Amino acid sequence: MSIQSLLNSEVKVINLGLEDFARNLKEQAVDVLHVRWQPPAMGDQNLLSLLDKLK
Amino acid sequence: MFLQSHVYKNTFRDSVYLMRLSSMLRELDGVEGAEVIIGTDHNKKFLRAGDLWTEEIEQNAGANDLIISVRAVNQQKAEAAIQRALDEMTKEVDRGDLAGEFVPRTFETALKHMPGANIALISIPGRYARREAEKILEAGLHVMLFSDNVSMEEEIALKQKALEKGLLLMGPDCGTAIINGVPLAFANRVRRGNIGIVAAAGTGLQEVSSLVHNLGGGISHGIGTGGRDVKDAVGGLMMLQGLKALIEDVQTAVIVIIAKPPEPQVTQKVLQAAAQSPKPVVVNFLGGDPEPIRAAGCESALTLKEAAEKAFRLAGGEPAAAPSANFTAVKEVIEAEKRKLKPGQRYLRGLFSGGTLAYESLLMLNQAAGGIYSNLALEPRFRLTDLFRSREHTIIDFGEDEFTQGRLHPMIDPALRGNRIVAEGKDPETAVIMFDLVLGFNAHPDPAGAAVEAIMEASAEAEREGRHLIFVTSVCGTDEDFQNRREQVEKLNKAGVLVFPSNADASFFVKELLNNLLTEHR
Repeated sequence: MSIQSLLNSEVKVINLGLEDFARNLKEQAVDVLHVRWQPPAMGDQNLLSLLDKLK
Repeated sequence: MFLQSHVYKNTFRDSVYLMRLSSMLRELDGVEGAEVIIGTDHNKKFLRAGDLWTEEIEQNAGANDLIISVRAVNQQKAEAAIQRALDEMTKEVDRGDLAGEFVPRTFETALKHMPGANIALISIPGRYARREAEKILEAGLHVMLFSDNVSMEEEIALKQKALEKGLLLMGPDCGTAIINGVPLAFANRVRRGNIGIVAAAGTGLQEVSSLVHNLGGGISHGIGTGGRDVKDAVGGLMMLQGLKALIEDVQTAVIVIIAKPPEPQVTQKVLQAAAQSPKPVVVNFLGGDPEPIRAAGCESALTLKEAAEKAFRLAGGEPAAAPSANFTAVKEVIEAEKRKLKPGQRYLRGLFSGGTLAYESLLMLNQAAGGIYSNLALEPRFRLTDLFRSREHTIIDFGEDEFTQGRLHPMIDPALRGNRIVAEGKDPETAVIMFDLVLGFNAHPDPAGAAVEAIMEASAEAEREGRHLIFVTSVCGTDEDFQNRREQVEKLNKAGVLVFPSNADASFFVKELLNNLLTEHR
């Protein structure tokens, strides 16, 4: 979606991280989907960089 | 003293949740210190420094584990606190994140369930942010990147990708945005209207959008860029993208640009783009040279308040009443307040939660004060060495990393600043304590109430010693904010605080007061 379309469309949010942000948007009747995000590769940076190399 | 920890394996919770839980444990009877924290190397250092390190953490805790560590007066209190944390977290799981809703674990799953999503709000730990943001841009969504600790290289890469795809990448460290009337992260509830803002300064965006609302105007969009965007290395990529978007946007009639003075090449690029705008552009480069701005055919504003007023007038608005503080009235108040001071009371102590507001006050007051010690100091010699001890005239931004490491931002948790208000009140040389209050989504539900509590304590103690403290503030926000600006102001007025309509007005008052006090001392 172009920037102009975004500025003139209903904002629909995917929220990754702080749950409060999603909750507050929901209270304003904004369409929002919260992701209960977890660190990939169980937070193991070495494993993560290996996984990224495999992509 | 008894130290107890618990390692909760393979568990992750967001940082605000964990910091709230930590604060709650610290309030429990008999608890001297407590942290609930993810076991990253960085956080482990933090636990060591806070005397919360245990053998169990040493042996068992990894980067994907959650650590609860408590220091209490005895074993019973420590164990009770650990149990309380575990109970709270179980409750959280039972309740679900957003009552009864599907909560995906990845962006990819989320997008499948919400194919029409057009923007992602990212507030995950900075070291993972690029990975997620790249995927999201690739999928064609705009990004607001609230996370900090994202390197400049990562920022540049993400912004270049966004440009290639014709998308917005607001941030990193972008605290505030308003898109098509929707406030994202820390924003205020403001009227819809025809003034568009692009800002590399989060609280600057909050102050200008709130002041426009309070004047009777409205905001089309507020695009945040992140503070580093205006460095030459980043090249103002999002500032230029945002400006272009507002020039093309049908809802926007007047554009406001807010940033600390951009580096030279960015200044040139931004002003060149602004000069091409068929719509009026108001520019506030906090403390920057107004000449190039005027030469580009733009309106220069020296303060956030001036930016809001100029934009409001250019958008066709007429202020209902004289918005500025009345000069004669100011003089009278200064005289009255000054008479109550004891000899030796002469210094300003400015305690801020909003970075842009702290910086604006520093700019406005530095000369009158003859230099202000600060963690945002304008000159290296005024850099405050011990942030926990003020020196002569001091202004502190409590939102800087030194204060937010492992703690909630002062806009969410004003406790640290409240303690400092009390501490400054004890200093016999303190004359005026200035602070800001920032309302809006995700901010503390009653910042005035929290400040008044500290003010009452500080005043009572000062009075016992025959001193008077002058408290000066402004409330950034609107009557539409859930905290309600009018009610917050009333609460402060009742406590004897001098409340001004804007941070610039409050700073102007303090400037006059300092000039007056300094004349007396000469």
